[in-house]
Amino acid sequence: SGELYCSLPNPRNVRFESVNMKNVLRWSAPEGTGDGVLYKVKYSVYGVGKWIRKPECRNINRTWCDLSSETSDYEEQYYASVKAFLNGMCSNWTETTRFNPLTDTKIDPPMVSVSSTEKSISILLTAPEKWKRSPEGKSISLLQVYPGLQYNVSVLNKKTKKRWFFSISNNTLVVPWLEPETAYCVSAQIHVTTPLLHSGFSNEQCIATLKDQTTK
Amino acid sequence: LTAGNKIFHLGPCRVSLSITEIRAGFNAIKASIQARDPIKTLSILSHPYSLHKVKASDRCCIALHLFDFYVDKVFKHCKAEDSYLNRKISSIANSFLSARRKLEQCHQQNQCPCGQESDEKLEQVLVNYEGLNVTSAAIKSLGELDILLDWM
Amino acid sequence: EDVLLPAPQNISILSTNMKHFLTWSPLTVQKETVRYSVEFQGEYEREYANESWIPICECSLVTSTVCNITEDISATVAYKLRVRAYIGVRRSEWGTLKGFFSPITTSLTPPLMKVIADGYHLLVKLEDMGPAFQFCVVYWKKGQESRMQQKVVKEVSSVVHLDTMEAGAAYCVKAQTYVEAINRSSSFSQTQCVRTQGDRSMWL
Repeated sequence: SGELYCSLPNPRNVRFESVNMKNVLRWSAPEGTGDGVLYKVKYSVYGVGKWIRKPECRNINRTWCDLSSETSDYEEQYYASVKAFLNGMCSNWTETTRFNPLTDTKIDPPMVSVSSTEKSISILLTAPEKWKRSPEGKSISLLQVYPGLQYNVSVLNKKTKKRWFFSISNNTLVVPWLEPETAYCVSAQIHVTTPLLHSGFSNEQCIATLKDQTTK
Repeated sequence: LTAGNKIFHLGPCRVSLSITEIRAGFNAIKASIQARDPIKTLSILSHPYSLHKVKASDRCCIALHLFDFYVDKVFKHCKAEDSYLNRKISSIANSFLSARRKLEQCHQQNQCPCGQESDEKLEQVLVNYEGLNVTSAAIKSLGELDILLDWM
Repeated sequence: EDVLLPAPQNISILSTNMKHFLTWSPLTVQKETVRYSVEFQGEYEREYANESWIPICECSLVTSTVCNITEDISATVAYKLRVRAYIGVRRSEWGTLKGFFSPITTSLTPPLMKVIADGYHLLVKLEDMGPAFQFCVVYWKKGQESRMQQKVVKEVSSVVHLDTMEAGAAYCVKAQTYVEAINRSSSFSQTQCVRTQGDRSMWL
């Protein structure tokens, strides 16, 4: 269809926001426009000749569009673009910068589960999964995407308020020789050196060591 | 945050390269360089097929060829008006020199076999490069540095 | 254009722990403000870019006689450096550093370290020396010097856990820095020994 007269201001701040390779295109409404603005979205694989429309994001009034499925191959790089419509007027297509899922995604902290005995705590870490199309879909851990992935683990003794750090490559850690009946709080962070990426620290998981049975 | 050498397994070649300075330099100029490349329909390194499709045994030779390509052809045509960009490009170019030297050691120790595929791939890269005017081709190649680094 | 000013002299490099500074002697001219500009040239520029020089804008027309060149001298190749003096429109010839400088030659100092015994746990607190640095920490049970253990510490966010200790035993620790980019280590720090006694470290 012939393009309408494009004098509407462009959508602003068009960019990909990505977490664990769930890649969502987001933007802000054109300057000075109230309600009623509709949008359409297209995307392209860098180096491949054509733009592809996203039907599910045609004539939408929200300011985001999930392109995870279309950008799931992290060996490729992508562009996306948005056009706004209002009262018979339209804006120009407004593009993102080049998006590289491998380096431009943010990584969630690992899942932390802890258990304890009288004098030790055991920590199990689980790296987040890469976004997948459906819950039944094949799970890919970010460990497979980033082979050099490591964990930084913080252990806080709630009684002495002293915090220790461990840096480990595998996903289990046992801290022995602890004080019985003492609360310890654990949090962990993911760290990748190539490309340089790191998650925030997870929420603290606290657990108490058990009562020492030998001191009856 | 830590910097880190990394042991690269490129076919039979095992080489410890400090790519971190190159990545840091590239990240500092990525947005600015890629914004100067308006051609989205052609990739110098990934057209017609991705580097990831290359056989494992050819990886070292292709890496060495591509390092030569960047040193011999790309960096010198990336002169920018912006002094900051020039300094970062110099940092990347000089880091490429020392990384290439290590790759050449593999070549000299016959751990860098060059098969037909690597020759074809390099030929394709040069065809893509010569298909554009030299400045556009150099800026596009520089903007694709992460494609090379991610592949390695 | 008349070149009246003498070129800056005594140009030298101070490089410690991967921080590199270019220094030179000040030019003194009565009642005049002398300014200086610094440029560098890497191996790439010499061999592939017609021996071009690149200005360091943080050290362009500055009155200081020290320039932090760390960010630009980032590759493990041989660099040349030069300085020029200015008074108004008058300027000197370039003064060039004798020979070359490469980050490989930086001097590495042993890390500041504090060893802590917390209950049965041996811990170490290391100085953060920047992203280029890792630490090789060596520890042993006092008296068993032949059975030293080693741990590479990459993150020095805070107190790093080394190992658990036997009750009442004394343990000793020393550390050195390691810079992967130049594949060199510092000398070891002073050895520090601790013994556990309940919750208090006891220095030996």
